[in-house]
Amino acid sequence: MNANAKVLKHSGQTRTMHWLHLIVCILLALTGIGFYWDINWINNLFGGPANASIVHRWSAVIFVLGPLLYILFNFERFSRFVDTISNFTKDDFGWIKTMGGYIPFIKVDEVPPQDKYNAGQKVLGGLIIIGCLLMIITGFPMWVWRGVVAPGFLAFCYNIHFWTSIILILLVLGHFFLAAIHPKSRVEFSAMMIDGYVDADITAEHNEKWYATLKEVE
Amino acid sequence: MSTFTSRDIIHVDPSICKGCDHCTSVCPTRAIHGTIGEKHRIDHRKCVNCGQCLINCPFGAISDLSALDTLVQALNDPNKYVVIQVAPAVRVALGEEFGMQPGTNVKGKMFAALRQLGFDQVYDTEFAADLTIMEEGTELIHRIYNYAGVAGFEESGPLPQFTSCCPAWIKYAEDRYPHILPHISSAKSPQQMFGAIAKTYAAQKLDVDPAKMYSVSVMPCTAKKYECDRPEFIASGYKDVDVVITTRELANLIKQQGIDFRNLNDEEADRLIGSSTGAATIFGVTGGVMEAALRTAYELLSGKTLGKIEFKKVRGLKPIREATVEIPVKDLGVTVPVNVCIVHGLKHVNGIIEDVLAGRSKYHFIEVMNCPGGCINGGGQPIRHEMYA
Ligand code: SF4
Ligand code: SF4
Ligand code: SF4
Repeated sequence: MNANAKVLKHSGQTRTMHWLHLIVCILLALTGIGFYWDINWINNLFGGPANASIVHRWSAVIFVLGPLLYILFNFERFSRFVDTISNFTKDDFGWIKTMGGYIPFIKVDEVPPQDKYNAGQKVLGGLIIIGCLLMIITGFPMWVWRGVVAPGFLAFCYNIHFWTSIILILLVLGHFFLAAIHPKSRVEFSAMMIDGYVDADITAEHNEKWYATLKEVE
Repeated sequence: MSTFTSRDIIHVDPSICKGCDHCTSVCPTRAIHGTIGEKHRIDHRKCVNCGQCLINCPFGAISDLSALDTLVQALNDPNKYVVIQVAPAVRVALGEEFGMQPGTNVKGKMFAALRQLGFDQVYDTEFAADLTIMEEGTELIHRIYNYAGVAGFEESGPLPQFTSCCPAWIKYAEDRYPHILPHISSAKSPQQMFGAIAKTYAAQKLDVDPAKMYSVSVMPCTAKKYECDRPEFIASGYKDVDVVITTRELANLIKQQGIDFRNLNDEEADRLIGSSTGAATIFGVTGGVMEAALRTAYELLSGKTLGKIEFKKVRGLKPIREATVEIPVKDLGVTVPVNVCIVHGLKHVNGIIEDVLAGRSKYHFIEVMNCPGGCINGGGQPIRHEMYA
């Protein structure tokens, strides 16, 4: 592999899936914030709160079906992803301690070597999967069973849905900052958003363990 | 046609409403407008003030018009003689507001608390419920006689007879089915009977000027607030019942005044006339009015006591139950089968009314209560927060 070599990090289907999720997440967050806090200008963007709610609910259907189809068609890739993010080693804890060297006031001599996803991405991935599941589990009765469940249960679902969404929004904002703005980490931006490729030398530095397995295959 | 309401009882606070749309599923009259995500609003022309939306709103966005301030003023006014009546369904729910098990009968503590609050006379509505039952039972007999062609009863109304003690049902009938009104019993509800007696008979007995008497009622029901304001209820020339407060409001008042409810010693209600038969204790549950009135009619017609009435569910329609009672009518020398029916939930009454109006109903006596399970689950009762339906 020469100095200008690139490695394929995210397949076309993964990138499409990520784009789809990004768009519906923005729609869900915007409409949700709009009608939860009665922010008229947001509601009016969608034609009033009732329509914003329709957009919210059908975006939620895409939010569920999109990943479901992706998982069905890419089951192996998804299993590998789950495998990677759930495999938390000493190096991952080391990354967390140093925060990958991305935070200016944490002094770092050396960041431990990382898998295809670094420890931060692993935690994010795990939290997003759990968060999405909670949103789906609570959102379903809020929509479909709203007339038949006990009021106490409905209020409980609204609370979980609300707090999970707040956590997810904060996580996604953090993810956006690191993936698109932070000068050290945004180097992988185009890999997910555009062509799927990352420079080999960046991969060698950021995802040393994964890069090593790629080298072995090579 | 829509009835005239001087004040709207039930309100949605748009700043609290989350647009969850749960309330539209509990409203018996489709009076709530709005879809999921939207602030909901009540069409007061259709609303029967039952408060079912209020006790079921997951976010506490719905409230009822409160007269608590006016009541406190009356209690503090030395020129007012304040009497209070408490409905049967209140005593088994009030304890919940003080952390007791639902269903605990706190009758004795409740009467003690009412005296501490400063009420001059503390009564039990049970006694008036007996009167309502007597009235309804007698009226049923008259209607049966009229139907059988017995001379002297031509003026009595038609069969079937509907019960009249649920004000939500009455408003619904007036709004949606004005032609059914002659079928509804002319008996006042226990609350209004009591109010009328308080300002006439009791005022005279206690030597109190009815103008100074302030009559209060504690009900498990928000529709009773609407009922007490109806212009026809002024037997003494003054409003029969001045204000109605709910079980929840009574609990708030007791808490506001710092009364240690759980540790109160039991007290008895004041007696107006004799004592209650106890028939009215079952008033709070569905079938209670029907059964009590039917027992009265049975005893008057046959001279015997009626055994247990076996109600069975009408197939497919869960909240409708029916029974047939054979009444041996002494005076006529015949046994008359009386078909009775109990409906709870106004959603389920339309078909029954339409059958009556079309002349194809087999029933002779029909009890209609708005709230699921009867007044015990009325819109004025403590709000529960269970996680299961
Ligand atoms: S149940 Fe309460 S919060 Fe939900 S829509 Fe009705 S009023 Fe609003
Ligand atoms: S009070 Fe009863 S009738 Fe009125 S809106 Fe609420 S549920 Fe409907
Ligand atoms: S059933 Fe009882 S509590 Fe409910 S509206 Fe009728 S009278 Fe009131």
